[in-house]
Amino acid sequence: MKKPDHIQIRRKKQRRQSFAFWTFGILSFSIVAILIVILSFILFHGVKAISWDFITKMPEDGMTKGGIFPAIIGTLYLVAGSMLFAFPIGVMSGIYINEYAREGFIKRFIQMMTNNLAGVPSIVFGLFGMSLFVNKLKFGDSILAGSLTLGLLALPVVIRTTEEALRAIDNSFRHGSMALGSSKWQTTKRVVLPMAFPNIITGLILSIGRVSGETAPILFTVAAYFLPKLPHSIFDQVMALPYHLYVISTSGTNIEASRSMAYGTALVLIVIVLIANLLANALRRYFGKKVKMN
Amino acid sequence: MNKIETANVNLHYGDFHALKGITMSIQENSVTALIGPSGCGKSTYLRLFNRMNDLISNVEITGDVLVEGKDIYERGVDVDELRKKVGMVFQKPNPFPKTIYENVAYGLRVNGIKDKAFIEERVERSLHQAALWEEVKDKLKKSAFELSGGQQQRLCIARALAIEPTVLLMDEPASALDPLSTAKIEELIYELKNKYTIIIVTHNMQQAGRVSDRTAFFYMGELIEMDETKMIFTNPKNLRTQNYITGRFG
Amino acid sequence: MSHLDTELKYLKEELIDMHRLVRLQVSKCKDALVGFDNDLAREVLATERRVNALELKIDRDCENILALFNPVAIDLRFVLAALKINSNLERIGDNAESIARYVMDVTEPFPLEFIKKYEISEMADIALSMLDDAMQALEQEDTAASRKIFMKDDLLDAINKKATDTTILLMESKNNRPLHFLNLLSIVRKIERIGDQTKNISEEIIFYIEAKVLRHGGEDR
Repeated sequence: MKKPDHIQIRRKKQRRQSFAFWTFGILSFSIVAILIVILSFILFHGVKAISWDFITKMPEDGMTKGGIFPAIIGTLYLVAGSMLFAFPIGVMSGIYINEYAREGFIKRFIQMMTNNLAGVPSIVFGLFGMSLFVNKLKFGDSILAGSLTLGLLALPVVIRTTEEALRAIDNSFRHGSMALGSSKWQTTKRVVLPMAFPNIITGLILSIGRVSGETAPILFTVAAYFLPKLPHSIFDQVMALPYHLYVISTSGTNIEASRSMAYGTALVLIVIVLIANLLANALRRYFGKKVKMN
Repeated sequence: MNKIETANVNLHYGDFHALKGITMSIQENSVTALIGPSGCGKSTYLRLFNRMNDLISNVEITGDVLVEGKDIYERGVDVDELRKKVGMVFQKPNPFPKTIYENVAYGLRVNGIKDKAFIEERVERSLHQAALWEEVKDKLKKSAFELSGGQQQRLCIARALAIEPTVLLMDEPASALDPLSTAKIEELIYELKNKYTIIIVTHNMQQAGRVSDRTAFFYMGELIEMDETKMIFTNPKNLRTQNYITGRFG
Repeated sequence: MSHLDTELKYLKEELIDMHRLVRLQVSKCKDALVGFDNDLAREVLATERRVNALELKIDRDCENILALFNPVAIDLRFVLAALKINSNLERIGDNAESIARYVMDVTEPFPLEFIKKYEISEMADIALSMLDDAMQALEQEDTAASRKIFMKDDLLDAINKKATDTTILLMESKNNRPLHFLNLLSIVRKIERIGDQTKNISEEIIFYIEAKVLRHGGEDR
């Protein structure tokens, strides 16, 4: 073979390499760019609406004026309520699946069902919540019914991340603990769970993000179209940010007049999710450190 | 006195016949090395004595496994009690994500001991026994993960010693360590044999030579030869043993 | 102390025991020869069995240490040296035994006058002091002591060289006792051998401590 050919092959290789590098790089950056565009668009339009009154006042004038205070509170209640329901149950299920269930049909069946649950459209959860919690159990349109419905939606995420987090813990830790005469539960409680906890928190973060933005499940179970007062019990209806956003941008009394309020609402929703994420992240880091220290 | 005896032990993992009629006796306060190529059954055999094989599904065991004269596979044997008596050190150092102190105290705590002074005394003594005290006495409250690999392994030995077992099972305890840490572990084994019956699985023939009193050679699930380590290393009776220890394994 | 250290220390103690025993054999056979003490000579023959047994024991221990501990560097040199020192000591023991056998086998004592002519007593003293030096060298890891041995061995060689002439002279003289002369000449040769073997031991000690090979005039002494 002549020498120039050799050089040509090398050039070709380099060309392909840099082509791949730039393509993948640009694609990755474009995703970040899209996110930035969306965020800045909302920030740009929404920041005009933001004021102290906007956050702390009741909506007025057919939701064209005033604030979104009840919707903020409603969303916080719903997120907290759904987590209160989904987190313990999800973590316990995850522990059962990964630590206790023997390999075999039952375990595979549970895992398959969990996956299916994760794939169910959220509107189906909403209908299910309405028929079970609202009608059958007679909770009515209430925080309880809405939280339970959102909790059901979050459950598979929590189960899956718990399972993954537990599976990531090397068996040598379990065996080391068992070899010292500790029971399976002692091993899980004292060794495995503390190690897996930071990653389980990740599941919490993900599901908070998902739950706080969902509209469909709360549509028939809790969300009020217009309710300028705060709830007194878990059996009360509340407004919620995503539904409020939907209402004022599609079916409000005066859509044009409430346009900037819609952006403001979206901004508040995003900020709440962001704060929840940051909080959970801090929590995760705190537990991660604690695991090492204890 | 024989601390451990097995008579005609067979073990199956599903269809795989992992141990084939192993009969062996192990004397009290001695070091017995189990050697053989990978998959020869030596680790499986070791795990018989604290019933670690129970953690794997599909295991079937026949024959007698006697620890201090009692069959540990009989109905009604308390496995947690057995594991307090038969401690184990694993191949990879596996300290828990806790402080050095809590690692050693762990075995006591899970066994329901709450007396603080007692635990403290036991922790210190175990760390002394594992030749680690001098290195960690000023950082007992630090995470065990801050220790080096060799120190972690000695911590795991201390952890096992804290619940005062009489038998210590070691599954390639030095295979993940550097030569210096390995030497330390080996010295430790040599010291500990005065008080404990030690069974050690090792891939490292020289290690078996250095630390053990008796050596058992396993091949394909069978016990080929067991004798004084001196004899195994200078004049093995079986040709397969000789081929293995001289590195001429076909 | 590590396990290997313990084993090596034990091996060294055994080697020193062996050395003591062999030196005692040599000194006993000298006394038996000079004092024509048949009982003492018999004792030497009896003790030779212990020397042989100890040699086998040390050999086995060396084999075990090599097989079990794979010693390296100074530890390896020590075990290798121990093997050779051991076999040299055993041969010194053999020489002492055969000298004792001469004492037992002859019917009448060697006249002291001849023993003096052959300088046997002096030779034996030199050999014994060489063994003492070797002991000192081994026990204290003192290579200076072991280097003294080479000079002393030269003295033995010189006396040994003279022995042939002495024999011829004595045979030509009227006091003709050829068997005595031949036996005494053999004894001189054996003591000279003892010197050589002690020299070998000292070379092994230097090899073990300084990692220098001195055999066959390999390096400067």
